[in-house]
Amino acid sequence: MLRTIVKSERVLKITFGISLFIILCMGGFAYKHVRKLVDSFNLVEHTYEVNVQLEQILSYLKDSETGQRGYLISENTEFLQPFFSGRENTNNTFARLKQLTKNDTVQQNNLKKLNTLIDKKLKALDQILTLTNENKLNSKQFNALLIEDKKIMNEIRSKVSEMINHQNELLKERKKLSTESLSNTPIIIYSVLILMLLLLLLTYFRINKNLKILKFKNGQLEVFKESTNQSEIVNKHSTWTYFTEENRYEFSDNLYRLLGEQPQSFEPNLENFYQFVHPEDVNHVTEQVTKMMETENLPFLYYRIVQKNGTIRHFKAYAKVLVSSEDNTRRVLGTTADVTEEVQSFKLLEERNLELERNNKELSSFNYVASHDLQEPLRKIQTFISRLEDKEAASLSEKGILYLDRIKKAATRMRLLIDDLLQFSRTNKSEEAFAVTNMNIMLENAKQELAEMISEKDAKITADAIPMITVIPFQIQQLFTNLIGNSIKYSKKNTPPIITISYSKVKADDVLKLKKPKYNYYHKIVFTDNGIGFEQEYAENIFVLFNRLHNKNEYSGTGIGLSICKKIVENHQGYIFAEGKINEGAIFEVFLPLK
Amino acid sequence: MQEEDVFIILADDDEDDRLFFEEAFDELKINTKVATFNDGVELMDYLNKENSLLPNILFLDLNMPKKSGKQCLQEIKKEARFKDIAIAIYSTSASEEDIENTFVMGANVYIKKPNDFKQLKKVLSNVVTINWQYHTSGLNKDNFLLRL
Repeated sequence: MLRTIVKSERVLKITFGISLFIILCMGGFAYKHVRKLVDSFNLVEHTYEVNVQLEQILSYLKDSETGQRGYLISENTEFLQPFFSGRENTNNTFARLKQLTKNDTVQQNNLKKLNTLIDKKLKALDQILTLTNENKLNSKQFNALLIEDKKIMNEIRSKVSEMINHQNELLKERKKLSTESLSNTPIIIYSVLILMLLLLLLTYFRINKNLKILKFKNGQLEVFKESTNQSEIVNKHSTWTYFTEENRYEFSDNLYRLLGEQPQSFEPNLENFYQFVHPEDVNHVTEQVTKMMETENLPFLYYRIVQKNGTIRHFKAYAKVLVSSEDNTRRVLGTTADVTEEVQSFKLLEERNLELERNNKELSSFNYVASHDLQEPLRKIQTFISRLEDKEAASLSEKGILYLDRIKKAATRMRLLIDDLLQFSRTNKSEEAFAVTNMNIMLENAKQELAEMISEKDAKITADAIPMITVIPFQIQQLFTNLIGNSIKYSKKNTPPIITISYSKVKADDVLKLKKPKYNYYHKIVFTDNGIGFEQEYAENIFVLFNRLHNKNEYSGTGIGLSICKKIVENHQGYIFAEGKINEGAIFEVFLPLK
Repeated sequence: MQEEDVFIILADDDEDDRLFFEEAFDELKINTKVATFNDGVELMDYLNKENSLLPNILFLDLNMPKKSGKQCLQEIKKEARFKDIAIAIYSTSASEEDIENTFVMGANVYIKKPNDFKQLKKVLSNVVTINWQYHTSGLNKDNFLLRL
């Protein structure tokens, strides 16, 4: 949305530029048209003046003529006064006309002709006057002069009217021209105004829209600011800004709270802040902050602060430079968080880890004790028993021999327990031990291990072909050995055990009992036997260490074998389930992930 | 001492084990001469004496005070003079690590101490009657540990 504003800002600028240009053009246009109007007005005035002057010439000539005629009739010289003044006025007016028409060659020519005619007329008048003064009023010459004079006067009249006509023609022509050019003026000015109005409206809507966006954005910012404030409080973090150019700091309210102070209760500067930093950390912090002011970058900085009430808190700070896209001002934006809880839980975790490590060490030393030190005395007890049996049996009473036999059985059982326990504790997971393994060979090896037991009980084992799987080979062999051994051990008396091993590939979603499977597909290997079985309610118990369902005198188990199976399967991120029915048999299902 | 007698030495800190060992050879109908040492230091002191009679077979317990079986094995294998001694490791534990290490260090056979006297006799009789020449040439990690 902000991008729209930036974009429309450009549009606005362009619109404004265009409007300015149009206004200038319109001004020029209007000026030109007004100029034209003034010109045509002047022209009309000019024409009228010319016409008036022309009429005046005529009238002055008539004045002179009238004055002269009056004098001729009355011989009163008083009449001669208009005659002379008429002459003079005619000359003046003529000079004025000459001036007025100096740009019009046609009129100039006409004027020249008029001038000749006027001269002729005035000459004729003079001659008439001379003849009058000589008292030759009735002479032939006088009459001819009068006729001549009348003729001239007529010519003058026609000339003047010609000139007036010409002037009127000119006016008409110019009027036509200016009307043509001026008739468009109102419509042009009107259109420009409409255009301006449209531009104005467009700009208005644009600005209005931007304002709305800005208002909306402002609202959002307001919400964001508030939620930031809240999140700062909840997450125990704070923000601060360092204005590089002004060398000035701004702290968020929560930074004050984290320091155990009221928001904005002191001036946000380094000096005030350093007062809270733990004395042991001050040097380190000062060093890093000085570096930050140069490089405008602060890598993760850990330090402690001491609140005024003496509480020590652990802080973590980080900052990065932000260059404003608006005016290129630079500022360093920083975040400071109170990580005391994290540090404490980390310490706790570390302690626990150490404890675990110690426990593990103890456990492995226990392993050694079990494998070596415990076995040694037991071995000796057993060897001494065998010595007693061989060499001293003859000197023992019947009861003595019975006791010796009991001791021997107890020792044997102890050895079994120690061996199984060792096996269990050695069943660990190690990534390096994983290898793509031929499971069928593992099964053969397991059968080999149990060969004696199998032939003794005449067990029948049938198995599907199992594909290659990535497993810890010796553990899988152990698993097979334990499961088959288990089936043989818990077989029905007088019934040869039949063990069926079947294989299938299953989809994790199809097997509901797989809790939170990590893989999509699993190898399913099922061991089914016809042994004594067990009650279904013990199906989970049988995998628990030392958990036995039968009296140890009946069956020789230690209660560890199936625990080892479970551990092995779990090492492979698999599952093992047991199902049993008393006197019918047991089913063990092993699921190994298909990676 | 007769020419055909097999000279056997056992280095073991355990009194009972030395007793079983000696008794076993007493009962076995093989011409043997058995000497025992209480720890690695005693053993090496004896072997390093120039005029000592060197054994045909040396049984080495691994876990001994002062000087362990492995240290003894290392020292013996360094000396050309001892190259004809067949070395049998004789230990309570049969951990993969110990078997691997002693095999690499050049022991000839690895025996896990049995917990039955009859078995002990059988093992010892087997070891003494091994054709060492033949056994050593065909030695590998799988037949290194003597199984019964």
